Amino acid sequence: MSSDFYTSSILPYAAIIIKICRAYTNTQEDFEDYYQEVCLQIWKSRNNFRGDSEWSTWVYRLSLNVSMTLLKKKKNNHQHFASDYLPAELTEEPPAFADESLDQLYNAIRQLSEIDRGVILLYLEEKSYQEIADIIGSNPNNIGVRIKRIKERLKKLLDGKIN
Amino acid sequence: MEKSIESIWKEGFLNSKEFIAPKLNNLYNKKSEHIVDKFTRVFKINLIAIVAGSFFVMAMAWAVDIPYMGVGLFVLANTLAFINSKLMKGLGEIDKNVNSYQYLKTFDSWLKEMIAYNQKFARVFYPFAILSVAAGFWFGSFGGDIPGDMLVNELMISFPEMILLFGFPLYLCLGLILTMAVLAFSAGRIYKWDLNIVYGRLFKKLDEILADMEELRV
Repeated sequence: MSSDFYTSSILPYAAIIIKICRAYTNTQEDFEDYYQEVCLQIWKSRNNFRGDSEWSTWVYRLSLNVSMTLLKKKKNNHQHFASDYLPAELTEEPPAFADESLDQLYNAIRQLSEIDRGVILLYLEEKSYQEIADIIGSNPNNIGVRIKRIKERLKKLLDGKIN
Repeated sequence: MEKSIESIWKEGFLNSKEFIAPKLNNLYNKKSEHIVDKFTRVFKINLIAIVAGSFFVMAMAWAVDIPYMGVGLFVLANTLAFINSKLMKGLGEIDKNVNSYQYLKTFDSWLKEMIAYNQKFARVFYPFAILSVAAGFWFGSFGGDIPGDMLVNELMISFPEMILLFGFPLYLCLGLILTMAVLAFSAGRIYKWDLNIVYGRLFKKLDEILADMEELRV
């Protein structure tokens, strides 16, 4: 990947990729792997971008697809390591975000299904229902209902944790 | 008052520190290790299966009174396993402290060397496997009689003019030699075909990764 391509076509959208990858990973190591894989797939698929949508929308779609695929693969190939059986305080990762509320919100998002994580991330990024439907491959009418349900679930998960 | 998730999101991401992108290095690190590990695993299983299979064939051959076939195939299979276990030591010596590209390139060279050795050995393996099977059935026992002798007697009755070479029908000998020659000649291709059945997907993946990496280096 040329550094020009990375600087001009990926780096300006790094925030999007970071937000998505964080929602699908629990550790810094996984996050970095997902980020690298997303960048690699953007570079490899760059010729498939036909300009039907904005580049940022395409990056969202690709990042979500790659993250969901990696998560699925990880679940399928789940291996048990000695660290899986260690007490939580020994394996706990430092918080990913400096903002404690954001960290809690991400922890709650990670408890959602793969698709719901994508939907809520796009909603929080102020994408329209139509755009969310286009990216996820759903009907815009269902998106509103789904978002309402996800927000209720998040509210329950965050109940009492954030002021 | 409780914050809405929208405000948590907006306020949380006001801090630009959250957007420090990880450095892109060793993009293929995990994939490289994964593909080599997977190959090593399948290769080991394959060797174990060859050795186990040779014992099974040997036992079965003795049980049904065709020991020559059992011994022949046992020797061939174990020679194959021995050569490959020696080659496998080279796989363990590949330096992991180099970048992913060099690592995969070294693995690729090892793979090519391994295939070349095995293609050479296949020229011996396939013809002698056929010879073992033929000898097994010829010198075996069928209800106390030797099938080869029974066949020669039958043929001598039907074709009294038949030429024998050390007690074997000449045309059968020529047929066997021809089959062995064809197998020796096409052994490389048969071996490649055989190899692709087991490792085809892995080889394709390795080629793709190497092609990607070469493009990344431009």
